[in-house]
Amino acid sequence: MIDPQSITRTLFEDFHPIAVTVFYAIGYGAIGIFCWGTWIQIRKYRYGSAYAAVGTFISRFKQMTAALLTHRTLVRRDHAAGGAHGLIFFGFALLFIGTSTITVEYDVLKPLTGMRFWYGDFYLWFSLVLDVAGLMLGGGLAFMMWRRGWLKPPKLSYVRPDRTPTDPDYDRSGYQREDWAFLWSLVIIAVTGFILEAVRLVWLQGRPEVWDYRWWSPVGAAFAIGMRAIGLSAEAAGMIRSGLWWFHGLIALAFIALIPFTKIKHIFTASASLMLRDPLAAQRLPRVPDAQESAGFSYITDLNWKQLLHLDACTKCGRCHEACPANATGAPLSPRDVILSLREFANKTLASGTLPDQAELDIHGKSPGQVSMETLWSCRTCMACVEICPVAVEHIPIIVQMRRKLVEAGDMDPLLTKTLQTIAKTGNSFGESKRKRGSWTKALATPIKDARKEAVDYLWFVGDYASFDPRNQKVSQTFAGLLQEAKVDFGLLYDSEQNAGNDVRRVGEEGLYDLLATANIEAMKNAQFNTIVTTDPHSFNTIRNEYGDFGGHFEIQHYTTLLRELLVSGRLTVTKPLGYRVTFHDPCHLGRFNKGYDAPREILKLIGCELIDMKRCRDNSFCCGAGGGRIWIPDPVGVEKPAQNRIREAAVIEGLEVYVVSCPKDLTMFEDAVKTTGNEGQFVVRELIELVREAVASPVALEAPVEELADG
Amino acid sequence: MATKILVAVKQVTALDEDFEIRADGRDVDADFFLRDLNEWDDFSLEEAVKIKEAGGEVEVVVVTVGPEEADESLRKCLAKGADRAIRIWDEAMEGSDSQAIARVLAAAVQQQNPDLVFAGVQSSDHSFASTGIALAGLLNWPHAAVVNQFEFSPGATQAVIRRELEGGVLQMMSIDLPAVLSIQLGINTPRYASLRTIKQAAAKPIEQVGLSDLGLSATDVGEAGSASRVRRMYIPEKGRAEMIEGSLAEQAAKLAAIIKEFKGASA
Ligand code: SF4
Ligand code: SF4
Repeated sequence: MIDPQSITRTLFEDFHPIAVTVFYAIGYGAIGIFCWGTWIQIRKYRYGSAYAAVGTFISRFKQMTAALLTHRTLVRRDHAAGGAHGLIFFGFALLFIGTSTITVEYDVLKPLTGMRFWYGDFYLWFSLVLDVAGLMLGGGLAFMMWRRGWLKPPKLSYVRPDRTPTDPDYDRSGYQREDWAFLWSLVIIAVTGFILEAVRLVWLQGRPEVWDYRWWSPVGAAFAIGMRAIGLSAEAAGMIRSGLWWFHGLIALAFIALIPFTKIKHIFTASASLMLRDPLAAQRLPRVPDAQESAGFSYITDLNWKQLLHLDACTKCGRCHEACPANATGAPLSPRDVILSLREFANKTLASGTLPDQAELDIHGKSPGQVSMETLWSCRTCMACVEICPVAVEHIPIIVQMRRKLVEAGDMDPLLTKTLQTIAKTGNSFGESKRKRGSWTKALATPIKDARKEAVDYLWFVGDYASFDPRNQKVSQTFAGLLQEAKVDFGLLYDSEQNAGNDVRRVGEEGLYDLLATANIEAMKNAQFNTIVTTDPHSFNTIRNEYGDFGGHFEIQHYTTLLRELLVSGRLTVTKPLGYRVTFHDPCHLGRFNKGYDAPREILKLIGCELIDMKRCRDNSFCCGAGGGRIWIPDPVGVEKPAQNRIREAAVIEGLEVYVVSCPKDLTMFEDAVKTTGNEGQFVVRELIELVREAVASPVALEAPVEELADG
Repeated sequence: MATKILVAVKQVTALDEDFEIRADGRDVDADFFLRDLNEWDDFSLEEAVKIKEAGGEVEVVVVTVGPEEADESLRKCLAKGADRAIRIWDEAMEGSDSQAIARVLAAAVQQQNPDLVFAGVQSSDHSFASTGIALAGLLNWPHAAVVNQFEFSPGATQAVIRRELEGGVLQMMSIDLPAVLSIQLGINTPRYASLRTIKQAAAKPIEQVGLSDLGLSATDVGEAGSASRVRRMYIPEKGRAEMIEGSLAEQAAKLAAIIKEFKGASA
């Protein structure tokens, strides 16, 4: 019977005491470098402006742990890479925990209390688990290498859309070298670990307490058998062991020392970033404090410490780069590159104990690390980047804050300047008279109540497009008809309603947003109603998520949920199921921003349409290109517009009859795109409201038949 | 000594849709006014601010003749970089034409003693295009109208300007200071004043100047001091236009028929 106490691994077996001391010295040195590097990073973040994290520490910690354990954010839209990362992550974590338990026994418990636990059954299970962990790590690494070296997905190319080949930071090849070095160092650590295990077995094959239990470390045992087969003697194995031991140990220690200086730091920065995740980062933009001299971000130190940390969390996975509609249509913007540029900028300027001159902290421009205004103006604030980022980097607040600075300096497209001036003057982007806001209602047989004069159940916030754009006015009239038939008690603010400000805010004109929001809130407070309903997802977002910060707390619904309610409760009855083959475009502000994915789909089902979703649907919906104020900035000619890209995606659906939208801007953008992509006559773009109208019998004759509208 | 540029600005009114004429028939009902800074003045202010930003000691003073509502436009000017703003008003100034306004401005110029006075070529509402030149006449200063390029370094006694003449001809000239210039659209790109900076400009004072502060009396301004008087304002009858289509012969026949119809002759 072998004494279980002897079934263990003797640390530093056969080592000269000086060697052990040297090893400890190097170990402490590595930890020292790690701590120093960590301090440098923390010092860098401390240069950022103040930030108060949302939620309690516990809740944030739980959310981060859940994200890490489930790997939910990593497997989304890339199961293979997410899975491989999971193998590396859990393998690495187990190996780290395992190695730490040795330290706990050897350096803490035993010297202090004389207690031991690292022997017998515990030791054997430990060996097995760590072998499996090593295999997981190796497997994950092998896949990642294959992916980088052979699969070469386009999102892993660091070539930038906002630079030309002559720019020094055009393809960032340095990052590629770092990626490979990272992979190889882990591979080497894992492989030498296994070989070390094997040579130890060969070296100590004479001891039954070692050799008899070899299969508890199966990978090592298999290697050991192979080594014996090719004639490796115990003595030779012992010699190899001492050399390899140092090699393995030194690389592992170097790895630890280098964590704060290399991409390895994402272990910490990504976790912290996930912990600081703001679920409303894109939906609710930060206010500019009244006392603040100038709005927005001019200098790297204007970013708050959390944002500086986000910059370091980015793992260059390219998911945001791939999802970005601006990047997809050749605009000089990649959200990944914005983050990486600012990261490089921060590393260059904030690395020392003293700050350089303010002029050197300016993040606007075209030099390496700076972000150009062309890049910033390309963003459509569609949230695709924020939504998909596995490590919770929040691009939009940074982009909008930088735009605020551009707006203040007047660095923007002249047409945008004009639009902002128009909105400031008239309260709408069409430059129409305030008095005409309700003009579209004149075509209705039954007038709509004025919510400023009498109490209503629903206050309908119409928005600019649905009020002034002739095509969308028809939709508004149709919606009004449906509500009237369903006997919904509703009213309008008429000329007291102004542009809701969602896009003005995303452009970065915070002063104008403030003005619009305040005016609307005041008008709403002066009206009597229970709930707001809106046909405009942009207005929906800002009223729902942002008006609160300006004192306006209202209950609000997008029209899709109200229509669903009316259909389900039977207040509207489907008399003519449509039987159309349709696809549905999720508007960014309804879908990704506010998770309103289901109501429109259920309505389509209720009115008898056959829905074929596009590949990019729901959270992965592809922006029509109108967001973030881009509807007011002309797109460059000769290149594909996001809306055209989207219509081409829909056009491959066989037998598609109707491309359904539920946002006024979408109607405008896509009706145009159907024509410009030559799909006219193939399928039509329709507002969901129009389809409901068609499916629901109307007791009142409408002024213009819906059929005609859709073709018009 | 610092160079002082006085920029004369006006708050103009645009008309809201379906406007109505005032009961006395001499102006549009103020209910339908949409007020804003005159477009030309945006350019003249920008030109002054650009000179200031190019360096040297320059003070930009904006001055307007108008009631309290005009403060809003002055704040916009302050937000865009003007150093001081002056608003001149007295009830008696109501109904002033460009001559009377020029008289008021001349008095202000004499008090402020600037090196340069910029005015817009015209205002977008009344379009007299004469205030700036009338002002120069009253001051008896050198002047140039419709300036679309301006070169000047602070402290110099002369400026080089380019003017737009009829038929696409340009005129280059130099002008002695002090001078009055009326500035044309397109001379620069006026900057955008963000709403936040306009709001912040509200903290800057606007100097209020009255009739007596300028040494003027009620007879110098208003209708009494004006060379012209509005008798009636009305919306003209809509004219008619018709596109004649068809072959040349058909077109000629149609035209002849119309002429005959107007002459009253039988076809
Ligand atoms: S918000 Fe949309 S357009 Fe802007 S960077 Fe992100 S993905 Fe690109
Ligand atoms: S910002 Fe996020 S999604 Fe984009 S590359 Fe970095 S880690 Fe990936």
